[in-house]
Amino acid sequence: MLSYLLFTLTIGGIYALLALSLNLIWGGVGMVNLGLAGFFAVGAYATAIVTGAGAPVIVGLGSALLASAIVGLLVTYGTLRLRGDYLAIVTLGLAEVIRLIALNERWLTNGADGMSGIVAPLRSTVGSQAFNLGYLVFVSAVVILMWLLLRRLDHSPFGRAMKAVREDQELAGFAGKPVLRLKLQAFALSAAVAGLAGALYGHFQSYISPDHFQPLITIYIFLAVSAGGVGRPAGAVIGAYAVVAFLEGTRFVAELLPGVDPLQAAALREMLVGAALLLILHLRPQGLLPERIQPARKTRP
Amino acid sequence: MKLTRRQTLASLGLAAGAGLLPRLALSQDAGAFRIGALNPVTGAGGPYGTGMQKMILAAAEAVNAAGGAGGRMLEIFAEDTQTQPQAAVLAAKKLIDVNKVQAILGTWSSGVSLAVIPLTNEAGIPLFHCSGAPALSVPPANEKKLGYRFQATNDRFGRAFAEIAKKEGFKRPATMAFNNASGIGNTEGFTRAWTAMGGEVVASVVYEPAQPSYRAELQKILDAKPDVIVTGSYLADTTIILREWYQTGEETKWIIPAWAANPELVKALGPAVVEGIISVDSISNEGSPAFAAYDAAYQKAIGKSGLGNVYAAMAWDMVTVLALAMEAAGPGADASAINAKMRDVANPDGTKVSSFAEGKAALKNGKINYEGASSILDFDEFGDVTPDFAASFIRNGEIKREYQVKL
Repeated sequence: MLSYLLFTLTIGGIYALLALSLNLIWGGVGMVNLGLAGFFAVGAYATAIVTGAGAPVIVGLGSALLASAIVGLLVTYGTLRLRGDYLAIVTLGLAEVIRLIALNERWLTNGADGMSGIVAPLRSTVGSQAFNLGYLVFVSAVVILMWLLLRRLDHSPFGRAMKAVREDQELAGFAGKPVLRLKLQAFALSAAVAGLAGALYGHFQSYISPDHFQPLITIYIFLAVSAGGVGRPAGAVIGAYAVVAFLEGTRFVAELLPGVDPLQAAALREMLVGAALLLILHLRPQGLLPERIQPARKTRP
Repeated sequence: MKLTRRQTLASLGLAAGAGLLPRLALSQDAGAFRIGALNPVTGAGGPYGTGMQKMILAAAEAVNAAGGAGGRMLEIFAEDTQTQPQAAVLAAKKLIDVNKVQAILGTWSSGVSLAVIPLTNEAGIPLFHCSGAPALSVPPANEKKLGYRFQATNDRFGRAFAEIAKKEGFKRPATMAFNNASGIGNTEGFTRAWTAMGGEVVASVVYEPAQPSYRAELQKILDAKPDVIVTGSYLADTTIILREWYQTGEETKWIIPAWAANPELVKALGPAVVEGIISVDSISNEGSPAFAAYDAAYQKAIGKSGLGNVYAAMAWDMVTVLALAMEAAGPGADASAINAKMRDVANPDGTKVSSFAEGKAALKNGKINYEGASSILDFDEFGDVTPDFAASFIRNGEIKREYQVKL
């Protein structure tokens, strides 16, 4: 049981990083990124390839950050004129493109067979129990660090400018905010965070394949951020843990329902996820922890 | 209705907690041998997963009815992989750590099996799967020799395709593969074996799953004027491809794996379209008593012929052979002791048996050789089954086996 909890919490932490990434770009700048799974994949593959070639894990994590940030920049350049729904569709397509590259460029990614045997740092020396615990601590520390960082960012002039772009891009530009640069920086940063999550996932699981990066994960993260509260890092983190707890909790709940066999339970779980999203949007559209808008500083007359 | 933040948080917390609490109250039967049925109930494997899970339950029932294995009753814990590695890993972790299962049975797609096997290796328990990817035979995936494959590897399937193409006198084969480890494994195995025989593949295409039409891919293949098209495909896509091919009016032959070219395909397309298609399968023991027992259980649970779902037959065999290994290892044996007996109860040199009850009785008098419902079920050193293959031809809507291929 303990090991299962450690495992679930680690996955929760990785989802929390993804939620922070989405919250930054969606809640911050208002750009809907449905391609989250793609950046997640770029990070995972980057570190798998680099550490597979013999580099230490820390270099792998660094290259995951770098690779996904670069892809993020490219995407923003390519979609400058797109906003709202149009951007969402393009980013959804982008995630598929990345998955298809991973599936077809077999010299690099080993295709559909996936990459197995990704280094799990220190696992062989400390044993798998200690590794699982240590990794949970590490991932949680990264989540806390990232949360503090992004919270700081939200309250900084950069964060305020970001939200100005979200509310009205033209007005922000008119007020002298560098809209394009802001978008590029925010998207690259958000992509890097998603890439980091991917890298952490890869080293934890030791196996990745294109099947891992289907759009389903993006949907879960949207559920997390909507539930937690768009525009507030703490909300995103709590939302992500809540989603993982909910997904895993439904396993046990479905088992206890009388007259439901495991096959029906499997279908029921998927329905519950959909119902949860509907309920949240209906009862609490602003999420558990809604965004706090700081009042403008009073100026003396 | 208006919920405060506090109320919402509290109810969410309660919902999560409620999942865990009653588990603690339910004490599990200490004497039972716990098995995880980890099957693709939803997702791409959905058409097969339901049958697999029901057959695992049915086979376990048969074992328990015969008095259990090695003095223990089997208890099944079922989970859904969603045909998705991420979801499967969490489900496997739950089975191993919460339910304390001592074996996991019935993962289907290669991606899922490759993702789950590090966990079963870490726990030191066997994983029985029906995935085709060659990577599952060797380290790192199978470094502990706890993985058993109940399906012929895709590479072997490909070699069988090549033998059949040669025997039928084809000169210009082309290949079409579903883009996953299994589909590509089939056609690549074919290409390797065919070129080793000095032949040439005139065209090949790998297509993306879940398309409404495969016209473009098909046209690319037909432009090369092949005399036969070899596929690594599944039922849904094969149905669309063949319908579109029939509309073009081209005279090409097809060699298709039997999990796609099955009675369901004939039913979906009608006899005219599928006339002359060569369906290749690893010889399942259709005439055998094991198959009859499986088929009866499948009819009872699903209401259809067991022939339509080869993976369910494999799932049936998984439970039976595991139970026989438990029986051979004796009371209280742990996973590694049971693992050591796998080949002893399934491979030749021994009394041939076709059910758990029969095997349990025969084990008292010496070695046994379980001949399964899905194949004769002999494992090689990698834990792979090494079946013979058969070529069946579809004529007038009937799938008739014509000859065997030995590799």
